[in-house]
Amino acid sequence: MSPFSLRPGLPLRPLSRPGRLWAVVLAIACAATLLLVAIPAQADDAEARRAESPYFQVRSDDPTTDRLPLKATEVDARIAGAIADVTVTQRYRNEGQRPIEARYVFPGSTQAAVYAMQVRIGDRLIVADIREKQRARIEFEAAKREGKTTALLEQERPNVFAMNVANILPGDEVAVELRYTELLPPSEGRYQFVFPTVVGPRYHRPKAEGGSSSFTAVPYLRAGEASATKFDLRVAFASPLPVSALRSSSHGIEVEGEGTNAARVALAGSADDDEGSRNNRDFILDWQLAGEHLSSGLTLFPGKPGEENFFLAMVEPPRAIATAQIVPRDYVFVVDISGSMHGYPLDTAKVLLRHLIGSLRPSDTFNVLLFSGSNRVLNESSVPATQANIDQALRVIGQMGGNGSTEIVPALKRVAALPKAPEVSRSVIVVTDGYVTVESEVFQLIRRNLDKTNVFAFGIGSSVNRHLIEGIARAGQGEPFIVTKPDQAKAQAERLRRMIDSPVLTQVKARFEGLETYDVEPQPLPDVLGGRPVLVFGKWRGEPRGQLVVEGQAAHGAWQAMLPVATPDPDAAALRHLWARHRIRSLSDQEALQGGDAQRDAIMALGLRYSLLTQYTSFIAVDQVVRNPGGEATAVNQPSPLPKGVSELAVGGSLGAEVPSTPEASGWLALAVVVVLLVGAAWHRGGSSARTLWRRPRRPRTALGPFGGAQDRLRQAQLERRG
Amino acid sequence: MHQRLSLTQPTGLAALPAGGWLALQAAALWPHALWAAGRMGDGSDDPLGLAAIAMLAVLLGRLAPDLRDRAQPGWLAASLGLTAGATAALWALPPLAASLIAALALGAALAAWLPLQTPRLSLAGLVLLALPLLASLQFYAGYPLRLLTAQLSTWALQLAGMDAATSGAAMTVAGRLVIVDAPCSGVQMAWLGYFCAFAAAGWVGLRDGALLRRLPVVGLIVMAGNVVRNSVLVALESRPQGLGSGAHEAIGFVVLSVVCSAVLLWTMRDESRENEHAHRA
Repeated sequence: MSPFSLRPGLPLRPLSRPGRLWAVVLAIACAATLLLVAIPAQADDAEARRAESPYFQVRSDDPTTDRLPLKATEVDARIAGAIADVTVTQRYRNEGQRPIEARYVFPGSTQAAVYAMQVRIGDRLIVADIREKQRARIEFEAAKREGKTTALLEQERPNVFAMNVANILPGDEVAVELRYTELLPPSEGRYQFVFPTVVGPRYHRPKAEGGSSSFTAVPYLRAGEASATKFDLRVAFASPLPVSALRSSSHGIEVEGEGTNAARVALAGSADDDEGSRNNRDFILDWQLAGEHLSSGLTLFPGKPGEENFFLAMVEPPRAIATAQIVPRDYVFVVDISGSMHGYPLDTAKVLLRHLIGSLRPSDTFNVLLFSGSNRVLNESSVPATQANIDQALRVIGQMGGNGSTEIVPALKRVAALPKAPEVSRSVIVVTDGYVTVESEVFQLIRRNLDKTNVFAFGIGSSVNRHLIEGIARAGQGEPFIVTKPDQAKAQAERLRRMIDSPVLTQVKARFEGLETYDVEPQPLPDVLGGRPVLVFGKWRGEPRGQLVVEGQAAHGAWQAMLPVATPDPDAAALRHLWARHRIRSLSDQEALQGGDAQRDAIMALGLRYSLLTQYTSFIAVDQVVRNPGGEATAVNQPSPLPKGVSELAVGGSLGAEVPSTPEASGWLALAVVVVLLVGAAWHRGGSSARTLWRRPRRPRTALGPFGGAQDRLRQAQLERRG
Repeated sequence: MHQRLSLTQPTGLAALPAGGWLALQAAALWPHALWAAGRMGDGSDDPLGLAAIAMLAVLLGRLAPDLRDRAQPGWLAASLGLTAGATAALWALPPLAASLIAALALGAALAAWLPLQTPRLSLAGLVLLALPLLASLQFYAGYPLRLLTAQLSTWALQLAGMDAATSGAAMTVAGRLVIVDAPCSGVQMAWLGYFCAFAAAGWVGLRDGALLRRLPVVGLIVMAGNVVRNSVLVALESRPQGLGSGAHEAIGFVVLSVVCSAVLLWTMRDESRENEHAHRA
């Protein structure tokens, strides 16, 4: 009895051999036709993003559309002390015959607080408003459809912006002016102003970044192809101290008034530095201001009646650090020995620690905390960095193998609880691959203990979690370091050593006497190191009187400086934006660790209140005059020049997802082709009719069984007798 | 010679027909079926295995009238042992490895009910192809195949007079970089090629020995086809204007058709010459 009972269908008219061959060919042709009309099978790309990687601009052979509408970028920077106020004017002109919508992606400093935008069309000036990002986009699209000239400025990344200008009519010249302010803290006595000119081609890795939109594709000109966009930059100083040693490592410059408080810098025009190639590299300007002694500066900004007042205090170390000013240092190395560090990352970490610990001075003290699922310290309290102690520590670290989970929170809590001598500057150095279970309390933990420690983060490995490393460093007012190979360890260790080699002040506290302050950041203050100043932002109210008292522990004992509260400077409006920018960045860091858009409301509120461009707020300017009825326009992506020194492989190579490849045919359609071929082959083999097609081929009995053995036949006969 | 007398009619499980036994066998392997279904359903693997299952069903349907009344004890015992092993492997081995054992168990169960002369290898091959293998094959074998494909393509293009060079799994042709990434490895073409071979062998009743001797050439045909496909596509992609997606797909389908046709011709060719050689041997 058979459970399967099938009876073939109706018999078909027999096909001749040529007929069967034609049937096969026809089947293939049908499959090819199916290919042309069917949608190729794809994996579920419901969350796939549009291709967002850099690509090369393709010259259009349509002369009626101006594909390079950005004709000039002019930068006007005014630097007063450590604050730069920059105005960037982008001039778009449509030299074609069709209305266009221009889109241009350009960089900005990570410190930039973009606070204003305005658009000039002919003799009309439209001041942009700050809006919630989605609402701004909706308004932009609506204005575009209505045929109004409109400009939208969005933040793609903290240092990447996108300008959209819709309905630029033939012959129009639209000048979009945006303004940002930026704090320029000195490092080792030198100030630096960087104006990024081009966004480098980025390897696209889709990710969610606290609600910000993903990085959009950037078209590039070919290597060596000069940009048609003119670029001009001027810097004017209004410094409290004479400006000296003005240098640019990137461009040729012309300097006037060096050595005075009002120096001026402009790009030099030369044969080697023609306008077409000025904007393929960041503009970098260095200068000096600092004196010989530890100095502090205080700036007050009075808001309008009923508005907030702001202040900025900067504790800056002297340029030359005398040996006597170096305070004893204590280091705590927090080393990740979890399973994810096993092997190459831990080997790299060991090399790094050999350099870090091995370079300690006998007057320094140190301790090592190893953590994975649990944690343990080498010593209950820090021990002097004698050779014996160093050797012992390196021996213990060298024996470690990566194993277990990664719990950094308990480790950092234990570090915070480690006893510390009051006059000692402590630096905590976290060495990890970044694959940690991190909660927002890590940030809070680091911030709460800032007056006792500086936190530096070393990310180990080629796939280190840079978000975490940079976030930890920012929270700890330290620096991030990335070490991908053991041979980089020495250089990075030396860099850290130079950075924290000369702590000048520890347990820094700043307080106002006679002046009420609030919303002060950061709280608490980090140590004053040889290379960088301490910055304090905040708000004040009441009468501007009293004094700022900065105190701390220096190598020679307690140190204190008192600064009288100066007359408020009504021109220091930048403090308003700088404070808000600092607060937004802190919230963004926290959001990046928490994931999602946990701080969206807070960031958006700050952006709207202080008129700042953020990942949740955009600037939009709409000319209410309808100049292009119907809103028909050609979208044009303004290309950027390929950054100097970057090869085309960065766009067409492994860093860009637009590299062509040779994937196989789509799965289901390929299967369809195969099925057709199988049916055709079966038909050709024995398909005189459907009945014969279905019938099994009867194999004549031979001495060969399924595997060719005569024994199989004997076995079959035996079984049949039994069976 | 004495004939064994059957004093009683089989009862209970022994009375179940082939279909019932096979259904029970499949039911016993439900964890593996559930895993395979989940893997295909959540998109982590291409569901081409369904085609193998469908082909298996067609072949079994064709064999249905000739299924044995009683299972061969040896194969049945093997099937039961493998089933036990597959069950134990749920805790000891990765799911795919456990499913491979389960597939072998099912194949042994099928073999127990097939007539002795019926080739089994083709059915076993289809049972294995029914598993969600592609993603794992891509993971483990994808990179070596890509390297091999890139190198062979480079040589082919150099023979054709083009300026070609390899860099890992990428090729530089006339200064332009084209990468042989995961979807270019030929794993899918290999699956389809072997699917054609097993399906065709099962359809025409090709002996297991003959199929076994023909399988290596199937691999060569697939490899050659992937190299040709890749070479043609790389040569066209390296042009300044590149290659449109429609043309790209069309070339892929044409090459696939040629490869599968070659596999079918090779697999279904007459065995008589091979049998003559075997007799002389």
